[in-house]
Amino acid sequence: MIQLGGVTPRARWSNRLVAAASVAVLIIGVLAIELAQLQVVDGAKLAGMARANSVHRIVLEAERGIIYDRHGAPLVTNSPMWNLEVVPAVLPIDARALAAELSELARITGEPEEKLATALLAADPYASVRVGPDLSQTQELALNERLPDLPGASIVQRAVRTYIEPLVFGHVLGYVGPLNDADLKRLGPLGYQPREVVGKVGVEAGLETLLRGKDGWADVEVDARGQVVRTLNSQAPIAGASVYLSLDATLQRATAQSLAEGLVRDHKTAGASVVIDPRTGEVLALVSLPGYDTNLFTHGISQADYSRLINDPDRPLLNRAIAGQYAPGSTFKMVTATAGLQEGKITANTLLSCPSYINVNGWIYHNWASYSLGQMNVAKALATSCDTFFYQVAAMVGDVTLAKYARAFGFGQATGIEMPGVMPGLVPDRIWKQLQCGVPDLNSDACRWSTGDTITFGIGQSYLLTTPLNQALYVAAVANGGHVMKPTLVLEARDASGHVVQSLQPVVTSTVPASDANLMAVREGMREEINRPYNMNYWFRAAGVPADGGGKTGTAQWGGSGLDLPTHAWFVFFAPYAQPEIALSIFVEKGELSEVEAAPIGVQVMKFYREHVATIRAGLS
Amino acid sequence: MSTTALWRRLDHLQPLLVSMLAALGLMTVYSAHADWGRQVLWLILGLGAYAAASAFDYRRLRPVALALYAGMILLLLAVHLVGHSALGARRWLSVAGFPLEPSELSKLLLVVVLAAYLSRGERLSWRTFGGALLIAAPPACLILTQPDLGTTIVLVGVMFGMLFLAGARAWQLFSLVLAGGVALPLLPYLLHGYQRRRLEIFLDPNQDPLGAGYNLLQARIAVGAGGLFGQGWLRGLQGQLGFVPERATDFVFAIFAEEFGLFGSLVLLAVFGLLLIRLLRTAAVAPDRFGELVAGGVFLMILVQVVENVGMNIGLLPIAGIPLPLISYGGSATITTLAALGLVQSVALRRRAVVHAHQGSPRTHGVASEFAG
Repeated sequence: MIQLGGVTPRARWSNRLVAAASVAVLIIGVLAIELAQLQVVDGAKLAGMARANSVHRIVLEAERGIIYDRHGAPLVTNSPMWNLEVVPAVLPIDARALAAELSELARITGEPEEKLATALLAADPYASVRVGPDLSQTQELALNERLPDLPGASIVQRAVRTYIEPLVFGHVLGYVGPLNDADLKRLGPLGYQPREVVGKVGVEAGLETLLRGKDGWADVEVDARGQVVRTLNSQAPIAGASVYLSLDATLQRATAQSLAEGLVRDHKTAGASVVIDPRTGEVLALVSLPGYDTNLFTHGISQADYSRLINDPDRPLLNRAIAGQYAPGSTFKMVTATAGLQEGKITANTLLSCPSYINVNGWIYHNWASYSLGQMNVAKALATSCDTFFYQVAAMVGDVTLAKYARAFGFGQATGIEMPGVMPGLVPDRIWKQLQCGVPDLNSDACRWSTGDTITFGIGQSYLLTTPLNQALYVAAVANGGHVMKPTLVLEARDASGHVVQSLQPVVTSTVPASDANLMAVREGMREEINRPYNMNYWFRAAGVPADGGGKTGTAQWGGSGLDLPTHAWFVFFAPYAQPEIALSIFVEKGELSEVEAAPIGVQVMKFYREHVATIRAGLS
Repeated sequence: MSTTALWRRLDHLQPLLVSMLAALGLMTVYSAHADWGRQVLWLILGLGAYAAASAFDYRRLRPVALALYAGMILLLLAVHLVGHSALGARRWLSVAGFPLEPSELSKLLLVVVLAAYLSRGERLSWRTFGGALLIAAPPACLILTQPDLGTTIVLVGVMFGMLFLAGARAWQLFSLVLAGGVALPLLPYLLHGYQRRRLEIFLDPNQDPLGAGYNLLQARIAVGAGGLFGQGWLRGLQGQLGFVPERATDFVFAIFAEEFGLFGSLVLLAVFGLLLIRLLRTAAVAPDRFGELVAGGVFLMILVQVVENVGMNIGLLPIAGIPLPLISYGGSATITTLAALGLVQSVALRRRAVVHAHQGSPRTHGVASEFAG
């Protein structure tokens, strides 16, 4: 009988086998304890590290608002620019492969290899580091092909401001640049990040809050190669507002061209022009020459380019239209006339002589003509720009009252246009002059206001300073019945969803205390000036533009007192005479003869305006 | 002998534990994005090898031990001469289009050869002790120079353990440890650059968190991120996103631990532990000293691999390329391990019959001798 049940296993556990089993159990126990330590005690910390490995918050950069002209023609674009980014943690571990990749990256970006290596080693290993300069499209294409062999490297695209015709629009638009330490201190509380750009000058700076969008973010899961696997959560960026400037691009171009041609013709290098609508304060054109390429700044300007711009004697970085302060010269005479009329010192019919000079307390003050022009009323005095006539009026009005009228016309005040760096100019009076002196000198001749100061003040000299923008506002006020408008460059701004967030709201900043009749008398003088045969009228006839409106030239002395001083040339103008809809100022730095140098430029601008008034005045398309 | 008798002699628990490990391994390999289908093929081939080895009388191996040894050396030499290299190491032979890793096979072959050599006498003389060292040295050197530090460590560990199981005296083993201790300072000169680097990184993992320390750090993070119950199958962040390197082979345990947590890890260790005890039990019931040493050797081979693999995954031991038996992806390792376990089953099937009721019954002896064949 087979008793298979009898075949029973009986283990013979030798000491050595027991020892082996004990060792196995012991070692596995040690592993289990270490596992418990790692997974339970350190578990939360290591789970956090795992998440930090793979979940990154990336910024979705908001597009900066586009700036258009009044008809919707873009003046700046956000053009794509490429950069190389590297996640250091994903670089090859093997030293030889790492060295090979670094030298390849150095070759493509043109960055020194040591610099590249240092930058990558210093950075957060799991964050992208931007490496090297902006890539051209050719470099981008070359790099893109090599990417599969370059673990950790990727190409990021970002938008870079590119300005259209910077020499024409540059001084208005300005430019953006990376935040410097001062910007960061100022804008940090507003949530600006160091990687952002900010408007530095021009409307880019003046309209920063409108143009800047709101960055979004995305929490993305990335794999070990830094590739995004999925998006866990995100908030879309909101683009900045689209801003429609009051500028007309074609008029701006024509103004810049007329000014540039005028400067070349007269061997001058610098000038400015501002064209506004006297009814609203809208700036239709604003030009300052010389200009410069604002695009140099958006890509990080080179030291050579920067020092060239800074050391240029013509100071291209200075926006003369808003920040150049010059004596207005004879263009100021409408203020003196208004003050004399309104204060009752003269009437529109009062006749005063226009000698070749007058003697005040032994000092001789000359007219521009070396002969007497005879008796004249205020209109003719403006038309002939008789200095001695206005010396007399200024003396009658007095410096304090003259200063009051000057301020009422906007002199001496920064205008509040949407650009930083606007200068106010200067309206002097006796108090101002005393304040210029130190206490011990209070009663010296140099510190006391003299009658001479008053009478030269009356022809826009003395210590008076103004800017081309203020000049345009001033002539606009003469034209519109005494309302100094707040200048604006913004017609309308629309947010990313198309809602209008800002629109033109004409604001009167000051009203000249002058009657309509008195202002009309002043305008009459300006009309006569541009209609003088063989003089100003020549430019209008030559250009085929009707001399409908009013203008005033001015050749302002600067650089001290005395005869044969250097001069600047001015021309201010409004049109049409009956219902003024345009006012402009032309400034030629170091211009010698305003009738010959500045006035023709204004006429050319007017010619363009008249020929294109329909399209210029057409609404936003 | 009837099927019922065979069934009774079979170590039932061992195939069950092996199946559990194979299933967990397959899940983890799938999660690690390795070639899952191929691993299924390796497992099927491995099961064939397991069945064949179980049926095969292990005692027939003893007479051919010398031939097996010669074959092993020839294969390892062939690797050096005509092998394929990858990642700077020459480890593979191409056999009928399949990559064969003779170093994996050599683990089992050395167990069998040493078991045959050490089962000749009861007491271990100095001569036999030295002989064992001389037997183990050539394959160890051939594998170390591939270079494959991990497998070399397994071979040395198996040899040391088998000397112990074969009855080596304490001072014999101690002198071996002493010799190793003296040789250790020489190790940096023997190691290849990357091996030395691994060792340095193990000693100070923070010295280069982006370079060589990266693997170690990422594996530790993955294991820790598993927490108590794991992140769930196919849902481990570190593993799925590729932060864990060599995630189907050397660092497969990190993948497993991240997805199944401490709970899963302890279950896995428990299964390995039970399997190891079963292997020792087979050694304890083996009908002869050769069988005992074969089972003990396979026990050591699996123990060393589990300890080194899990140890390096959790940062307890330096990194050396060693698969986790039955869990890691890989044909040669899977088939070799299953063949080894089958061989142990063969020992179990041929264990001593202790006859209680009918001692001396010729019939019973007949059965026993039939098996003794």
